[in-house]
Amino acid sequence: MHISIRASDTDRAPAAASRPRSRPDALARWARRDRPAAAAAAFLVLLVLVALVGPAVTRSTYDREDLDALFQPPSAVHWLGTDQFGRDLLTRVLYGARISLSVGGAAVVGESLVGLAWGTVAGFHGGAVDQALMRIVDLLIGFPTILLAILVTGIFGPSLANIVIALVLTAWPATARTIRSEVVSIRQREYVDGARAAGASVPRILWRHVVPNVAHLLIVRATLDVSFLVLAEATLSFIGIGVQPPRPSWGQMIYESFQYLRSHPALLVIPASALSLTVISFNVVGEALGALLDPRCRRGGA
Amino acid sequence: MARYVVYRVGMAVPLFLGAALLIFVAGHLAPGDPVQTVLGDHYTPAAGAVLRHQLGLDRPLPVQFARYLGDLARLNLGTSYVNPGLRVADLVGHALPISLRLAGLAVALAAVVGVLLGVGAATARRTILDSLIQVGVVLGLSLPSFVTAAVLVYLFALRWPLLPVAGWGAPANYVLPVAVLAISPVAFIARIARASVGQALLEDYVRTARSKGLRASRVLFRHVLRNAALPVVTTIGLAFGNAIVGAFVVEVVFNIPGIARVAINAILQRDYTVLQATVLVYTALFSLVNLMVDVSYAYLNPRIRY
Repeated sequence: MHISIRASDTDRAPAAASRPRSRPDALARWARRDRPAAAAAAFLVLLVLVALVGPAVTRSTYDREDLDALFQPPSAVHWLGTDQFGRDLLTRVLYGARISLSVGGAAVVGESLVGLAWGTVAGFHGGAVDQALMRIVDLLIGFPTILLAILVTGIFGPSLANIVIALVLTAWPATARTIRSEVVSIRQREYVDGARAAGASVPRILWRHVVPNVAHLLIVRATLDVSFLVLAEATLSFIGIGVQPPRPSWGQMIYESFQYLRSHPALLVIPASALSLTVISFNVVGEALGALLDPRCRRGGA
Repeated sequence: MARYVVYRVGMAVPLFLGAALLIFVAGHLAPGDPVQTVLGDHYTPAAGAVLRHQLGLDRPLPVQFARYLGDLARLNLGTSYVNPGLRVADLVGHALPISLRLAGLAVALAAVVGVLLGVGAATARRTILDSLIQVGVVLGLSLPSFVTAAVLVYLFALRWPLLPVAGWGAPANYVLPVAVLAISPVAFIARIARASVGQALLEDYVRTARSKGLRASRVLFRHVLRNAALPVVTTIGLAFGNAIVGAFVVEVVFNIPGIARVAINAILQRDYTVLQATVLVYTALFSLVNLMVDVSYAYLNPRIRY
């Protein structure tokens, strides 16, 4: 992180390169330079906060129905109005954020760890092990992504755990492939030879020298992958084999809103904007991080 | 070239076998006993044993897998567990052309629009047009297709009732699904076309062509587009593979009797043979398209020799 921020200084303003800078300062400068990314990052921080505390604050629950108050417009009691069962939309959309973020978060942690371990071992070991491990990756990448998730949740049932497992299964092979190709080049660096000559064990070399040097790639990938995973969960829920009612999820809320699209488009607009903004924000932040952390990426002028 | 084709096909075969194995294993790990599902209320242990034997479900798993592969090779996808009279191959044979037509039309549309937008953005670099197209590309790539579908349905079927909301049969039924399905490939193709044309515009031969006084349009068509075409062609191929999968959601939204409908009904009824077959068909199509993309790339690009 530190190194790459300095590298970015040399890119933009050679004269300032040698001046040491504090991190908040660098952050502020980055925010000024890349406003969309800063806005997206701010949105995501806000989203995490409201997902955590929001459902407790709105004085309703996601499944409390009020048949006397169907399709209410926004009011002091229901800030975003109510849905076809008189349920508070704000509570439901916030609870949906909690589901989306926790499913996406759990899946991204899972797939990153599996992908990191798999790619590191394959890339570092090389030879037949590499061949065998990467053929399995090729096989899984050959599967159309969302279909693997549909197969898993379709057969084993749509519990939250199965959804996460399905998403991990679809996402880890691509991560493993990225990590592996980087590790193959790291393996030949001098500091790895040096560590080996100094008598370091393989696990120690991997942990102290290889993993820290692919961490930036992993962070960028993971951020972009959250975007994909949140979208994939929403797609599963939209199709009806993801998060099950009455527990709300954005995809499922969007599916239900189709029925009332003519008379009450707000039921669509609210979860659809939440989902779209989240997906776009993770994408924008991921690409900005990529430009910031990966010096090769930056040259493309992205 | 021939060697590469052999190599690439050779790669695809084990991948397909592996996918078949994965799908086969998933079907066997599935909760619930298919024999009980089929017999329903008529289930007795004796009748169950008979049917189990008839279906070959009492044989060792490797034997069952070998038989499954043998059946696949003869395009026999078995019969539906839930409706034993129904051949899965018929079911798929009915639904698949609909999905393929949908994906084909969407990608054809996307190829035209995407290339136009991409070339437009590249030739008008750093203008307002370029920025607009760039924003559109980001939106097109990240907006979920069911959200864009909802917006288009609201606008063109409900707000101004020009097109049917859902259904299948009439030509008008194609418009919205194809448009929705085309959005993401349009963005994908436009992005690659912009990058590729932008790159070609910087080449020395373009400067030479310009400096000898060639008209801008002639430079574009003669020198730039021809050299920028290769990545775009590949992208269009990849987009077709993605559109086949993307059609899944679109078929759900517009209630189209394509292969997604077959798959979803299979999931709801726990009809595992049908679900396995649909996933297998998707996988086969997807890898076939990718295979053709790779081979055509090798064929079109004389600089790449394997």
